[in-house]
Amino acid sequence: MAEQGEPAEQSKTADEPKVSAAELKKRAKADKQARRAAQKEQEKAPAEVPPATNGAHQEHLTQAQGVQQDQKGKATQAKGQQQPKPSKQGGQEVRQERGGPSQPPNIPLRNKAASTAPSKKLPKKDNTVVELLSHLYPVQRRPNLAGVSKDVHPAVLALGLQISTYEICGSSARCVAMLLAFKEAIQAYTTPRDTSLPRHLVSHHLSPQIDYLRSCRPLAESMGNAIRWLKKLIVELDPDKPEHEAKDFVCEEIDRFVHERITVTDQAIAASAQDQIRNDSVVLTYAKSAIVEKTILQAHEQGTRFRVIVVDSRPLFEGKRLATSLMRAGLEAQYVPFSGLAHVVKDATLVLLGAHSMLSNGRLQSRVGTASVALRAHKADVPVIVCCESVKFSGKVALDSIVLNEIAPPEELLLSPIPEKSPNHPAGVATTAVTGKSAAPGKSAAPGKDASEDDEPAKLKTLHDWNSIPNLRLLNPMYDITPAEYIRMVICEYGSVPPSSVPVVHRLANEGM
Amino acid sequence: MPHATHPPSPGLQALILCGPGLSLNTFTSTPSTLPKCLLPVANRPMLWYPLDWCHRMGIYDITLITPADAAPPLEAALRSHPVLTSLSGPRPEVLAPKGLEMTSGTAELLRLGEVQRAIKGDFVVLSCDFVSEIDGSRVMQQWMSLNPALAAASFSRRKGGLAVYYPTHGREGISSKKDETDFVATVPFSRPNVMPPTGSLRQGVEEVVMVMPTDTLNDTLDENKQALPIRQTLLAKHGNVKIRTKHRDAHVYFLPLWVKDFAARNEKFDSISEDVLGWWAKAGWQQGLAEKLGLDEVLAGKRSTDDEAANGGSVDEHEEVDATALSSTRSAPAPGRQPPQAFATRVGNSTVPPPRPKLAVPPLLAYMQPASPTQPLIRRIDTAPQLASLSLHIARLPPSDTSPLAHEHKIHPSATIGQQTRISQEDCLIAENVTIGTRCNIKESVVGANCEIGSNVRLTKCVLMDGVVVGDGVQMVGCIVGKRARVEGSSAVGVKAGEAEVDGAAMKGKGKAKQKASAQSGGEDDDKTKLTECEIAPFFVVEAGTEAKGETMKAFDPEGEVGGDEDEDVDVGDEDNEE
Repeated sequence: MAEQGEPAEQSKTADEPKVSAAELKKRAKADKQARRAAQKEQEKAPAEVPPATNGAHQEHLTQAQGVQQDQKGKATQAKGQQQPKPSKQGGQEVRQERGGPSQPPNIPLRNKAASTAPSKKLPKKDNTVVELLSHLYPVQRRPNLAGVSKDVHPAVLALGLQISTYEICGSSARCVAMLLAFKEAIQAYTTPRDTSLPRHLVSHHLSPQIDYLRSCRPLAESMGNAIRWLKKLIVELDPDKPEHEAKDFVCEEIDRFVHERITVTDQAIAASAQDQIRNDSVVLTYAKSAIVEKTILQAHEQGTRFRVIVVDSRPLFEGKRLATSLMRAGLEAQYVPFSGLAHVVKDATLVLLGAHSMLSNGRLQSRVGTASVALRAHKADVPVIVCCESVKFSGKVALDSIVLNEIAPPEELLLSPIPEKSPNHPAGVATTAVTGKSAAPGKSAAPGKDASEDDEPAKLKTLHDWNSIPNLRLLNPMYDITPAEYIRMVICEYGSVPPSSVPVVHRLANEGM
Repeated sequence: MPHATHPPSPGLQALILCGPGLSLNTFTSTPSTLPKCLLPVANRPMLWYPLDWCHRMGIYDITLITPADAAPPLEAALRSHPVLTSLSGPRPEVLAPKGLEMTSGTAELLRLGEVQRAIKGDFVVLSCDFVSEIDGSRVMQQWMSLNPALAAASFSRRKGGLAVYYPTHGREGISSKKDETDFVATVPFSRPNVMPPTGSLRQGVEEVVMVMPTDTLNDTLDENKQALPIRQTLLAKHGNVKIRTKHRDAHVYFLPLWVKDFAARNEKFDSISEDVLGWWAKAGWQQGLAEKLGLDEVLAGKRSTDDEAANGGSVDEHEEVDATALSSTRSAPAPGRQPPQAFATRVGNSTVPPPRPKLAVPPLLAYMQPASPTQPLIRRIDTAPQLASLSLHIARLPPSDTSPLAHEHKIHPSATIGQQTRISQEDCLIAENVTIGTRCNIKESVVGANCEIGSNVRLTKCVLMDGVVVGDGVQMVGCIVGKRARVEGSSAVGVKAGEAEVDGAAMKGKGKAKQKASAQSGGEDDDKTKLTECEIAPFFVVEAGTEAKGETMKAFDPEGEVGGDEDEDVDVGDEDNEE
């Protein structure tokens, strides 16, 4: 620090002669000390700039030293760049909470769109996290392959990437893809000498794969059920079975599982759900579900004349894909953004919804926004029917979308790609901090800004900088919970049941085996 | 290069093609001793760069394919070269197929029996002259996540490929107008489902619809009165074609297994970049072309070769559960019936379904690196100027840099440096056991291992490969000096000139530039050796007093040189003694 302070002082003395007097110098020093005390970390960056240029001068004299200093300068600069963010907030937020009209977090007792509402919450330590839902944030969505366990099978590796980029999205798609990838991983497995396949395979070979998939995106309920089934299957294998036989058996069982629990089930559900679609029906659906799509297409093939309204939401725009495939099949489809929901719900005669999971209290967990669709439909007396395979039934219970949910990276809400070099070199501006101060009070848009914010007075902040905008939080939940009373019927392979029968079916299908 | 942790295996194997290096012929005229892939680039053999790149991706199953006569030096280098042996992981396998000539095309190479047998799964084809700062796993991630078929089915015949193209322009110090380029026409690949996270290459991934080298393009233009004929079907299928002429193929291809059969079926294919990829790209939209190329049968999985029968087997048919079809971010393909066109154009993601939906050619994707100086570097080194500029670029990287190419030591501790010698640290690279005399001035240069540099030498923008001897008082600017070449300086003239007379016939082809020198041979040494922008072949001796600019100095008679090589190999020590 001593060495950093020096050059800064030099620049001060250079300015001095204009106004003269040691007083100024004193004041400047005091000012600086105060600043330093206030935000130590913040200081590092501006103070660090002059030495870098100094280093350049010295280079000619002693090259080795120059290089060294340069490096040091860079290292600390980098540190300085990273650190300001947390410290900034730490500094200003305390002030704000006292001054600003802090709003108590009204926790909805049971609700639907609750999760979409709290886009602004009490600002606390971390700007990127919405406090109320902080328990839902994944540890870290894996940005690249570095640090992945090397036991992960290539097929699973690829699947993880496809899942995290939403190339494979949707509960049943992910479940099927996972099982197929596991089949490959199991085939590639060889049992070590001193152990047996049933004892070793799950804990040492499958669990790294599962952990990796979980790090790509939290597991879906259907995946959880399938994994539980698979583990049970493997553990109960006869240890004396020859290895290749055991592997073949497991793979065949997986095929059978996929076939019975998903492929055939889908057909059964589609067959029974399509009876709900009659001539001149208007089917409203939300986002995209594979079963709903299948149901609609089958009904169309049967020759039923009806119309489909697809309501869609950001940021995945799954409804677009559904509308595309319906139109390709020659159906009359109307595509409406979520904001147009109230308008189209009047026309609908039937609402068909897919599910991420059916919870044991009869509530539906599905793509965020589903609850609003169901509520609207319920108000308009349009029957709401959920199509859901029993693999997706869950023993969990939730009253609201806060306890069980998945938070996707908020960046996904942005419309255009993040410019590459946005936060690059703000350090250069830092020396003008003194001039920036005078302009500070004039800012009305951001009253909470302190001195550190004034360093870049000219820069207009966009949503891309949401990280650094105080009082702004982005929230991108994946699911919400639809209350059971809005759901008229759940169609699964065991037949059409009321939401209250979900735990029974769950016990039969997922725990009875 | 110890990697902290081994990345997981991506299930790919790598083929590194170690070709002859035609455009570097000053340095590679004798592949039996110094093949192109062992030429030093910033004091590492060229081969190190693709090898290290693969290792960083987690690919350890690497096959080096080389013509038979270059195989022994390659194997020797893999065993003994300190830089290559420091790479972790198993040593790559060297494959020297019998039929492989120096002139064979790359697709021809794929058809060879040995290579066909060596390819057991999806593979990456690299060229040995590939240098990249971009992390291979980032490129690979795109390939993996964008594969249309569920990658889980590892023998799936619907996987696509991924190539990498880099901009040749917009890079100060490295780009030059003379760089070779390719002609690439691309269409946007389906938009990402959500904004990709920062650092993802997804924004740069496009689908290739046409690709050819600029040479072929020029030929086509000449044939057609400076017009490029493009089929209407391309425009009918893709409304938004982007044509680039300043990008260059990095010769890195992530290819699915079926490409092996595809190359084997089409005897006419000569090179991978032009023919295999070129026709594949066209087959995606040109009607009937896929069938003509036999793609339908290749994709249908007619396993032309013996093995794999055991793998596929019974389950294949009914197991066609397609997870991607269930995915909520995909729309179902069109059924047999033709839908009304009016609908299709209104929705962004829809494309007019192919006339024969049975045969969907997997997409050939390409990562088109945006042209911007801040982008990490991707380059191929196939000309001498590129070799020099890239070596100097790497020399400029600070040792702490995050770039995987940076050297740990800018000046190796084992180098001996005389007094009052100035070496500009930030842009020089001095390798092991280098001896530098007094009062030298070295700027922006790369000095290879075991070089000996006399006193009062000035080197600017020079690349000296291993074991170069530079005499006193030599001045060189922008020169590339081959392995164990010798540039004589003023003080040694008396001795050297006599020597030159003696064995000149055996090992020294005399460049024209030396006429002046020979006229004065034995004479006094007023004029120093001054070389500007010269290329000096390995083992060549530049006599004292030579002044040259922009010349290539190499022996005329290849046989004489070969003979000379052998001599030199034995008695480098001798040379030292003579001094």
